[in-house]
Amino acid sequence: MATEYFLRMGDGKRVAMTREQIKEDAIAGAGHAVDYGLIPDLSADEIDKIVEICTMPGKSVSVELGMEIPVSHDIGTIRLDGDQGNSGVGIPSSRLVGMMMHERAFGADTMELGHIDYSFKPVKPIVSQECQTMEVAQQNMIVPLFYGAMPNMGLYYTPDGPYENPGDLLKAFKIEEAFASMEHSAEHLTRDIVWIMQKLYASGADGVNLDTTGAAGDADAFGTLNAVKALREEFPDMYIEVGSAGESWIGMHGMLEFEGTVLAGLWPHQQVKLVEKAGASIFGPAVNTNTSKTFPWNLARSITFTKECCKVSKIPIHVDMGMGVGGIPMLETPPIDAVTRASKAVVEMAGVDGI
Amino acid sequence: MDKEAIFKELSDAMVSCKADMIMTATTKAVEAGVSSVDIIDGLAAGMTEVGDQFERGKLFLPHVMMAANGMQKAVDTLDMGEAGATVKKVIINGTVEGDVHDIGKSIVSTMLQSAGFEVHDLGRDVPNAKFIEAIKEYNADMVGLSALMTTTLNGQKEIIELLKANGMRSDIKVMVGGAPATNAWAEKIGADCYAENATEAVDKAKGLLL
Repeated sequence: MATEYFLRMGDGKRVAMTREQIKEDAIAGAGHAVDYGLIPDLSADEIDKIVEICTMPGKSVSVELGMEIPVSHDIGTIRLDGDQGNSGVGIPSSRLVGMMMHERAFGADTMELGHIDYSFKPVKPIVSQECQTMEVAQQNMIVPLFYGAMPNMGLYYTPDGPYENPGDLLKAFKIEEAFASMEHSAEHLTRDIVWIMQKLYASGADGVNLDTTGAAGDADAFGTLNAVKALREEFPDMYIEVGSAGESWIGMHGMLEFEGTVLAGLWPHQQVKLVEKAGASIFGPAVNTNTSKTFPWNLARSITFTKECCKVSKIPIHVDMGMGVGGIPMLETPPIDAVTRASKAVVEMAGVDGI
Repeated sequence: MDKEAIFKELSDAMVSCKADMIMTATTKAVEAGVSSVDIIDGLAAGMTEVGDQFERGKLFLPHVMMAANGMQKAVDTLDMGEAGATVKKVIINGTVEGDVHDIGKSIVSTMLQSAGFEVHDLGRDVPNAKFIEAIKEYNADMVGLSALMTTTLNGQKEIIELLKANGMRSDIKVMVGGAPATNAWAEKIGADCYAENATEAVDKAKGLLL
């Protein structure tokens, strides 16, 4: 009987797989990325490498010596002080304490200040508090400290914002009205991101992390890229990190363009080219985990997309990894066996510059 | 023009997502003596192709809506006879309580509507009781429950339990979806099906209701 290895499904459930099954799934996962992204497949050696990583005996694994890369974080300090089903462990602590813990106890190479709602629009009424917190934090910390939030353009739609939800408008066949809603919301998003970062940068922030760009579709990416462009023009030295929401930007609008390229349906190797054009410092591709598929399937798919993204990019790639992203199962506490294997694979195989 | 060519023309017109092209192809088919049922089959084949291209990121949501709109206008001009008296199957769709994610669920609602179902989208963060009320109000055939967070996923199970408690479970099909949901989860909680994406949601709904 063939040796079985305990791996995971995309939802975190343990599954026993033989070496042959692992290889088959890795080939299938890579093939899925190739088929959709129209990108090169992984080689036979690369598939074997994935199998090797999956079948390593240790519970946790690490990168080879000399291949260490910088690690940064999103969601600010929510992972410590949040406990509302938002990936936090509910330890009452100030944001300064949380950030310094990341710097001095967790070994973060960079860190970010974020607020509990972690979106740009809700920052506006509390921006003074954010500026004050940033200034105090900068006086107590050494690592580069950014301001992080999600563009989250959905907050500009009813009931949270002034524009009617384009999903509802599309269902009612009010297509032109849906376009207008998305276009107006994108304008507000651009304006708000720029306004907020003007203030945070003046308060000492080293830069900005625009997390889950494109989460509300192509118009969300449109608004964000225009904000990046404006910020770069005004602040040539600002560190700007754009983290994507997923491997494909959903075409809610379908016709919005940035610098002559339609945004809808872009894959990571295409997303990065626009992020470069906008003037960002770093791009974080995100490949979402399919909870119904195995870890080898998801990992191979993630590596295939990320590798091509790294290959074509002129700016550093800090790949997004975490629960449900980068091959890692979707669990509030992602299992260490999967997290470390996925991280090792993406560093050694895709050639990322950071995580 | 033979029937196969007309069928292809209908399908291609749908993929163009242009209402005038869809209408032209339909009119041509009628004049050629093709039956209304066959015309709808041709248009439906095109709609399926639209759905496939949407999943591949080649066509986008507005295209899906334009194709659906064009198809509806074309179908409205057909003489359906007794076959036209069919009643649409009703689907209630929503994101469970505590979860504010909207986009995926809205896309599913849109695709189901395009496929000919009567869809009532309750929105997001929908209280469990509201699902039950809506199912009763619209005499629904299916309820679609979306959850995008592991912490709200259990809401899908709660609603199924509520359906049982109200003696409604046997009269309604339950579809679950969202990133943390899986086939195994659907089986565990007693849902009728799990759909990984909008196209699969349409296929599963058709399989269960038609």
